[in-house]
Amino acid sequence: MPLLEVSNLTKDFGGLRAVSHLSFFVEEGEILGLIGPNGAGKTTVFNLVTGFLPPTLGEIRLAGTSLVGLKPHAVTQRGVARTFQIVKPFPKLSVKENVTLAAFMRLPSRRDAEMEACRLLDQMGLSSKRESLASDLTLAEQKRLETARALATQPRLLLLDEPMGGLNPKEVEDASAMVGQIRNTGVTVILVEHVMRAIMRISHRVVVIHHGEKIADDAPDQVVRNPDVVTAYLGERVA
Amino acid sequence: MRPVETFVQSLVSGILTGSLYAMIGVGLTVVFGVMRIINLAHGELVMLGMYGAFWSLVLWKLDPFVSILLWTPVMFLVGMLIYRFLLKAIIPGGELNTLLYTAGLSLLIANLALFVWTGDYRTIKLSYATLPMRPFGIAVPIPLAVAFGIAILITGALYAFLTRTDLGRAIRATSQNAEAAALLGVNVDRISMVTFGLGSALAGAAGVLMAPSLYLYPTVGEILVTKCFVIVVLGGLGSVAGAIAGGVLLGLAESLGAVYVSVAYKDTIGFVIFLLVLLFRPSGLLGVGKS
Amino acid sequence: MRRAGALAAIAVLLAIPLLTANQFLLHLGITVLMWTVLGVAWNLLGGYAGQVSFGHATFFGVGAYTMMILFLKLGLAPWYGMILGGMLAALVSLPVGYICFRLRGPYFSLATLAVAEIVRLVALNWEALTNGPVGLLITTLPRVGLGSRVLNWESKAPFFYLVATLALGAMLATRWLSRSRLGAYLLAIREDEDTAESIGIDTVMAKVTVLALSAFLAGVAGGFYGLYFRYVDPDAVFPIALSVEMVFIAVVGGLATVEGPVIGAIFLVSIGELFRERFLVGHLIFYGLFMMLTIRYLPEGIWGGLRRAFASHASA
Repeated sequence: MPLLEVSNLTKDFGGLRAVSHLSFFVEEGEILGLIGPNGAGKTTVFNLVTGFLPPTLGEIRLAGTSLVGLKPHAVTQRGVARTFQIVKPFPKLSVKENVTLAAFMRLPSRRDAEMEACRLLDQMGLSSKRESLASDLTLAEQKRLETARALATQPRLLLLDEPMGGLNPKEVEDASAMVGQIRNTGVTVILVEHVMRAIMRISHRVVVIHHGEKIADDAPDQVVRNPDVVTAYLGERVA
Repeated sequence: MRPVETFVQSLVSGILTGSLYAMIGVGLTVVFGVMRIINLAHGELVMLGMYGAFWSLVLWKLDPFVSILLWTPVMFLVGMLIYRFLLKAIIPGGELNTLLYTAGLSLLIANLALFVWTGDYRTIKLSYATLPMRPFGIAVPIPLAVAFGIAILITGALYAFLTRTDLGRAIRATSQNAEAAALLGVNVDRISMVTFGLGSALAGAAGVLMAPSLYLYPTVGEILVTKCFVIVVLGGLGSVAGAIAGGVLLGLAESLGAVYVSVAYKDTIGFVIFLLVLLFRPSGLLGVGKS
Repeated sequence: MRRAGALAAIAVLLAIPLLTANQFLLHLGITVLMWTVLGVAWNLLGGYAGQVSFGHATFFGVGAYTMMILFLKLGLAPWYGMILGGMLAALVSLPVGYICFRLRGPYFSLATLAVAEIVRLVALNWEALTNGPVGLLITTLPRVGLGSRVLNWESKAPFFYLVATLALGAMLATRWLSRSRLGAYLLAIREDEDTAESIGIDTVMAKVTVLALSAFLAGVAGGFYGLYFRYVDPDAVFPIALSVEMVFIAVVGGLATVEGPVIGAIFLVSIGELFRERFLVGHLIFYGLFMMLTIRYLPEGIWGGLRRAFASHASA
């Protein structure tokens, strides 16, 4: 049984169909890349899976149980964590507190939660910034903070929304390595990204979305050769 | 009175009062639209207009419907000064901070008025207005009718201003998207100042117009601003048409409610409608409620 | 060091009625302490959770009326009535929260205001229950024996000790909350509610819980009000001004701190009461003025500012 199974997922905003009969699955231990031109509906898919938006149609199952209708905090408690395209740290709280808050979900004792937070911050290379205000960090650091925070909830599935956006090439490499490391700790990852080089390199499989529909679902090297994908990104005539 | 007459009577009363609610609401909504400020002191601006009318009648024998020509520009100026010297520095601190600040300002103005003018109820008695007009047997108080007429004029003028003049268009642009407007060369700060002045002028004018029809007391702003915020929120924050519709509807609802449901609970009607809308539209009011 | 300071302050507080018989000073003290409870109550929801309520008078009034009605109609002693008043207020907070928590920020504030006004008007008109505008009056308080002596209700001392206990209890509750997981969750909700949800925080439960606690404290304070002033009417316990004063005391004193509301209460209430003694009306001028000054120059409140000043002084 796949860890995450999305079937016939559809989302309408009034007359606009943002996601259309989307079906895909993720096996445990995979890194799945989710790509598509801007406005294709990728973040909407994340919002649907994590309970921020209710689907119009379709089913979302985590290890067999449905996530549809659950509030976001309940989805997180089931083991799905996410980061945001535009980072959302708690700006006026310390870096350590940001992660501690997320750790609280599984570790109600403050001492345990803080210890876990420190461990994760170590893992993310943010130990030196423990006491800084989250808003004082650089963008790359804030993205790592958000990842640490998501990991503090001990997820089975981690949804990363453009973790490399706005990063320089060196930072992109570090982030790629980090995604691999996370997966090695047993967390399944779905990655939305625009930085093609990175996502093609680290994903086991890639799903391509265009106008809310799936147009490809294959290994990275197959996807780049798929004519529908090329057309979607470059337009009719170039293909 | 026959049932039909009662009904028409309360319709008329409702529309007359509603027009004044609408005027106050338009001032509120325009300020919110441009600056994202919830001005809790707006009611006090109405109160100042009311007392302005009162004192200019008592001291200078000026009829309110004449002194409105004085008080409207005065309140416009007062509004601009409040923006420039008080609010401008606060706005960057966020919506909630501004809300609290204007709450403080509201308390300050109302209580200064209370201190200086005492809490005694005042009334304005106009010699030509002791008896109501009776078109078709419907009692229409003269001051309210005149107020209604002037309110329509002012609202019409405002509409023309917002749609036909450059300044008006700049205000609407800023209201829709301040950043874009700034990029197009609109001086957002100046627009904000003018808009706040405009909102204050509308409030003050409404106060002058209402003065002959109500008891005046310094804390009258409190309940007025609460009701008018309900109107504005239900009509859509920033929407002038929404505020007008909301104001008239509230006037009608209160008037009809007073006659057909209960006089005592008249003031609750707006609030109950507000809360009912909240209950049955869980997405918040017109999607506006979620931050 | 801070512990010793706090204990010393508490000792001084409890000694006050023994040190002075000045009725005005004791009345001032009682008023300050009652407003401390209210400020603390409001602070739980407004300071920690960031939900600015302009309708907390609802809970105060419910507590006051509950106590009065239970005493006058059923003969239940006021101290029990006070607690029951708090509990009823907490119960009332559930539907209030259900309606109002659908909104965020200033819209939430307006909704709470609307609720408070409706409740006030109901109290004004539901004469069978509340006596309407005439209000409810306690003529004699029950006899209470303490050992061999009887409590002298004419003296202010028993009231002082009662309200001091309430204030200390409220502050202890705040201290407990600030160190608990719920307290941390509330601060996260205050920062960004959606993000808080995404890390597994049940934001609805958290808000409902803190509102119930806040309402309970406000309700108990309301019960005390009835007991001390012995007269309750809708304009005394449900007015918008009362809700607004609670907000001001917490904000001027210092949001999301244990000590803030005390400082705010001492500061604002003292100035207000002194002004009122002399001039009778307009004492809220200072509330308005200080709110404006606080937001402009000292957003973390007087206590917040003092803490910062001490911290920089200590490290200098």
